[in-house]
Amino acid sequence: MRNPLSLIVGTVGVLALLGILGLAFPESVAGDLAGIVFSTSTATSTARLAAPIVLAGLGGIFAEKSGVINIGLEGLLIISAFVSVYAASVVEIGSTVFGVPALAVGFLAGIAASTLLSAVFAVVCIEFKADQIIAGLAIWLIALGLAPFMSTVFFGGVNTPNLGASVGWRYSAALVLLATVGSWWLLNQTAFGKHLRAAGENPKALDTVGVSVSKVRYAGVLLSGVLSGVGGSALALSIGQFVGSGETMVQGKGFIAIVVYLFGNYNPIGALGAGTLFAGLQALQTRLQQLGYGIPSSLVETIPYVAVIVVLAFVGRTQIPEAAGEHYETEE
Amino acid sequence: MSDSDPDTDRSPSVLARLVAPFVDRSVAERLVISVAAIFLSILVGFAIVLVSGRIAECSTAAWTLPFTGIGFCYDPVEVYVVLFNGALGYPFAVGDPGLFNPGWSPFNLSFGLTLSETTLLIFTGLSVAVAFRAGLFNIGTQGQLVVGALATALSVLALVPLLPAGRVAGVVLIVVGTVAGAVAGGLWGAIPGALKAYADANEVITTIMLNFVAANVAYVLVLEVFRAEGSSVVATGYVPEYAQLRPWLFPASSDFALIALLVGVGFIGALYYFVEHTSLGYDLRTSGVQAAAAEYGGVNAKLTTVRAMTLSGALGGVGGAVWVLMSEGRWMASIPDLGFDGITVSILAGNNPIGVLPAAFLFGILKGGALEIGFRTDVPTELVAVLRGLIILFVAMPEFFRMIGRYAGVGGGGVAASTEPDETGGDGGETDA
Amino acid sequence: MNPAVHLDGITKRFPGVVANDDVDLEVERGSVHALLGENGAGKTTLMNVLYGLYQPTEGIVRLDGEPQSFDSPRDAIDAGVGMIHQHFMLVDPMTVWENVVLGNEPKTWGGLRVDRAAAREAVVELSERYGFDVDPDATVADVSVGEQQRVEILKALYRGADVLIMDEPTAVLTPQEVEELYGVFEELTEQGKTIIFISHKLGEALSAADDITVLRDGVNVGTVAAADVTREELAEMMVGREVLMDPATPPQETGDRVLEVTGLSVEDDRGVEAVSDLSFELRAGEILGVAGVDGNGQSQLAEAITGLRESSSGDVRYRGEPMAGKTRRDRIERGMAFIPEDRQERGLVMSYDLTENAILGSQHDPPFARGGRLDWRASRDHAESVIEQYDVRPPDAGAEAESLSGGNQQKFIVGREFERDPDLVVATHPTRGVDIGSTEFLHDRLLELRAEGKAVLLVSSKLDEVQGLSDRLAVMHEGEFTGIVDPATVTEEEIGLLMAGESLDDESVEGAALHDDAGDGAGTGDAGDGDGADDSPGDEIDGSAGGGEGVDA
Repeated sequence: MRNPLSLIVGTVGVLALLGILGLAFPESVAGDLAGIVFSTSTATSTARLAAPIVLAGLGGIFAEKSGVINIGLEGLLIISAFVSVYAASVVEIGSTVFGVPALAVGFLAGIAASTLLSAVFAVVCIEFKADQIIAGLAIWLIALGLAPFMSTVFFGGVNTPNLGASVGWRYSAALVLLATVGSWWLLNQTAFGKHLRAAGENPKALDTVGVSVSKVRYAGVLLSGVLSGVGGSALALSIGQFVGSGETMVQGKGFIAIVVYLFGNYNPIGALGAGTLFAGLQALQTRLQQLGYGIPSSLVETIPYVAVIVVLAFVGRTQIPEAAGEHYETEE
Repeated sequence: MSDSDPDTDRSPSVLARLVAPFVDRSVAERLVISVAAIFLSILVGFAIVLVSGRIAECSTAAWTLPFTGIGFCYDPVEVYVVLFNGALGYPFAVGDPGLFNPGWSPFNLSFGLTLSETTLLIFTGLSVAVAFRAGLFNIGTQGQLVVGALATALSVLALVPLLPAGRVAGVVLIVVGTVAGAVAGGLWGAIPGALKAYADANEVITTIMLNFVAANVAYVLVLEVFRAEGSSVVATGYVPEYAQLRPWLFPASSDFALIALLVGVGFIGALYYFVEHTSLGYDLRTSGVQAAAAEYGGVNAKLTTVRAMTLSGALGGVGGAVWVLMSEGRWMASIPDLGFDGITVSILAGNNPIGVLPAAFLFGILKGGALEIGFRTDVPTELVAVLRGLIILFVAMPEFFRMIGRYAGVGGGGVAASTEPDETGGDGGETDA
Repeated sequence: MNPAVHLDGITKRFPGVVANDDVDLEVERGSVHALLGENGAGKTTLMNVLYGLYQPTEGIVRLDGEPQSFDSPRDAIDAGVGMIHQHFMLVDPMTVWENVVLGNEPKTWGGLRVDRAAAREAVVELSERYGFDVDPDATVADVSVGEQQRVEILKALYRGADVLIMDEPTAVLTPQEVEELYGVFEELTEQGKTIIFISHKLGEALSAADDITVLRDGVNVGTVAAADVTREELAEMMVGREVLMDPATPPQETGDRVLEVTGLSVEDDRGVEAVSDLSFELRAGEILGVAGVDGNGQSQLAEAITGLRESSSGDVRYRGEPMAGKTRRDRIERGMAFIPEDRQERGLVMSYDLTENAILGSQHDPPFARGGRLDWRASRDHAESVIEQYDVRPPDAGAEAESLSGGNQQKFIVGREFERDPDLVVATHPTRGVDIGSTEFLHDRLLELRAEGKAVLLVSSKLDEVQGLSDRLAVMHEGEFTGIVDPATVTEEEIGLLMAGESLDDESVEGAALHDDAGDGAGTGDAGDGDGADDSPGDEIDGSAGGGEGVDA
């Protein structure tokens, strides 16, 4: 089972089987489970949870395809989650700036913050040839410190107060679908997509035909910032609050995003499938909790993490771009 | 490399490529970069405090920018004075006549807290460093520490009823508990090692995931099974006092046992000797800098990977044991980020065991100072977490400092010289007939 | 009429080095011009100046008489100069057409989409015009090296190149592919393109070029018409002295069977079979040469023997002992030495100094390690002795491996491996990147080992090297030996055919391989430790009969 897509297909198959069983024997455990899996609340919370994972995953594809491994996605999600809530609260729900409602301003501000942080990452990695893994880690840790720090400065605590308004799950779902299709187009149909791929596979080939490898890589990393920004803002604004205690409300979604695009084999559609799968697992877990199945929530929470490890062990190395992680210097 | 060798095109693995340039840099250069990174981080932190101090709301300005009259809610100078001076227990009398505080004794509470953090960070720093030397990025020290700490607490608590209370029993329990922590942490570390060696699963991802798993599973275990009766938080019962590492010379509330620090220093020496002067150490670091060469030299790469991760995990586990036996006296759910700080310590130390000592001390100061910042200023203590990230960021970009070195013209030797273009004859490549 | 290319008094200095010294070069339109010289003669630097990668310190580049100033390869491309590097600049997982148009993609939908149809059409049209046989939709990783080279040429043509620079274009080709390339040259020059190719092979320059310019130490020694010059004259121009092209391999009796390979199959990293059902044997005091175009399984063969790669089936016996399940460490301990082809990846730890590198492979063995402790003094002494015996420069055991030149790195590896006192030496490309003087020295050392009764498996893509040193010469193609021949009597053409995968009809040549099996029935029962003494000297190997005959470069 070397192809991660087969895993996704397999999961869809299992879900279909569960659905059929559930319809046939509504009184059984299968019926119960099917009821949960196919309930609207599970679907909506899946959409909500999938947004940050899939969007950051799409961003990760752009960065890594260009040859820069961005393990700082988690940090980008954290910073955009906080800034989106902060900006929306500054504008105040109900009022507008140049006709733009507060939540939308929050969204844009979150994207801007994430893009800015990714620009720092890009400069550090491309200009100053930093080790990408360590720099990515630094981006995560900086955001992990900075977001609660700012929250305390502005709101007096690591958690922000609730905005009292939130973005509906339909917006999140629409954004995810739009971003997935757009990413697919950009990667597979445009000249930029080809350049991105060349920059990650054989930067010298791109350089010798006169395309700047640095520019392409900057674009790749900044796009990861933009997309993660959308994801982080969607995460926080769908709740209307930023939670900054512990691992913050992002809780490793940026890392799951990495696994998601590895599963999806750098294909946006694959990332969408894998991301939805993980989000679905999490949503399911919440529902099971609510229905009183006596499993401690912490234990159920580990399912996606264990799944990541298991699948990583089975899938092993994916088609990682040949030059990913390498610095590139034009000669002279 | 005078011939632009075609051989270098074929690199073994992405991660090896990532790690190699980081591991093999000259010690002197690393030292310069580490110090510069710290200063730069402090500078950026200064700016952050200023800016947020401008944004935050307060009734009276804590600091005014000279000549401008612009007021700030936070005083950035004070923050750092409190941070560093406070972490040592205020040996310097700032503002008063005389440089030193006459009443200062090294055995004060603040300094004890700082050294307590230092001790813990020595173990987690060594944990990350030893994996790094083998070319492995162990982000899972945190999880290994959590698991090790739980094993320590549970094994000691299980043995307490079997031994008569007393000094001898205390020593036995401490040793057994530490070994249990090491074994549990080692096993937990061996998992990503084995996954890496035999299933080619990237250890960066698996260790991050295992951190989440460790935290959640340990939480549930304690919550459901081992929770102390009547405890308001999720925690095990306390280890009896005779089986704890009790403070000596320092105030009891400092939670700092000098003996633990000495053991940590002993670990540093032992690990240094292991890496530099033993065959297995040679295998390990050769795998780290150049895996293909290590295999060529007869090193079993898979076994070395598992060994290094196990050793790394064991060190993390010992860190957990010390945390239980010295700091908390029990396992509790809210475990500090010692594992992640270990990454910073190791990177700052250039993954050199000897360097772990000053790096751990610096972070001990940051941690101890953070408490003082919380007590004495309005600045959120999360500032220290930001500084941690900044330090890693700057240490990760040596090229930046080399550039500065070149601009400033002070590149004397090490820092600047290494990046000169060394294309000489031009005709590289191979000479096939 | 002005020459298509005129390099006028080009001087290029690097800190401390003059790579090109006042070089003049004129190339006529529609001609093929060879730039000939040894490694380090400044050929590539000169072409990098023409290609805009380097700016000349002094001098001017003229195209059709017009002075040019190139700030980057981009400018050179725009002026119609295309470069085809020795290591192809292709993106392996992309298709042929994607590679050809990379960076200049035709677009539709206002730039939002690459116009596939137009791009494919352009590629098809170009390849038809020049008679290239390439599939535009094939993935580059899947096509042959010769085809990849044509893709590179298409790339240059697509960008409107009139002058094509090719760096060592035949290095990776079989003799037959080389012939095809010469055909491509003809096609291109007929249509008015100008070709400059870099080479250090006399024969190639003579047969493919109209004119030849020889560079030595960065100076233009002279330009001659290929028709008016002999091989010997060219060789003298290149080296600056008369060249002896015949390494002497005195005939010698062989001893015990050291290595037996039966039915060995090995897979490469991608899981593709790289060595297929290979059988041969190697005796003490014998050099078995393995020739072939790079990438035909030689590396995997050497790795499987030395324990760096698992075999998928078959058997390797070393001194009679089966090696299945024996680790690399086991094999080192049993006296296998290995000179790897990738010295900077495997042979040396680049960031270690020579003292540390001297024990690579012996780090668990006395005298360097006792009870798991390393004795750095012993390893330093060892490093110093290798440095002295093998003339490694600088003579400093504390120097980092990466500070040494490629040739000195190689000498250190060879010295370390030879001084293990091995019974078997597997040497892959032992003189790659090594200057002529050191090459001669290393050849002499190999022959000394042979004289001492060691078995040597010599893998090299240098035909003259394997032909000159070997007692028997195996030619490898797609994982199989297409023949084991007597290097003294075989012709270059025959080797070429074998390298291309064809077998020779002459049964007597193949006999060299079969002969061994007949003469050694008793050896199979041998435990393998009884070395040398009781061996019957009656075995006679074809190759040892007349190895003294030299072969031209």
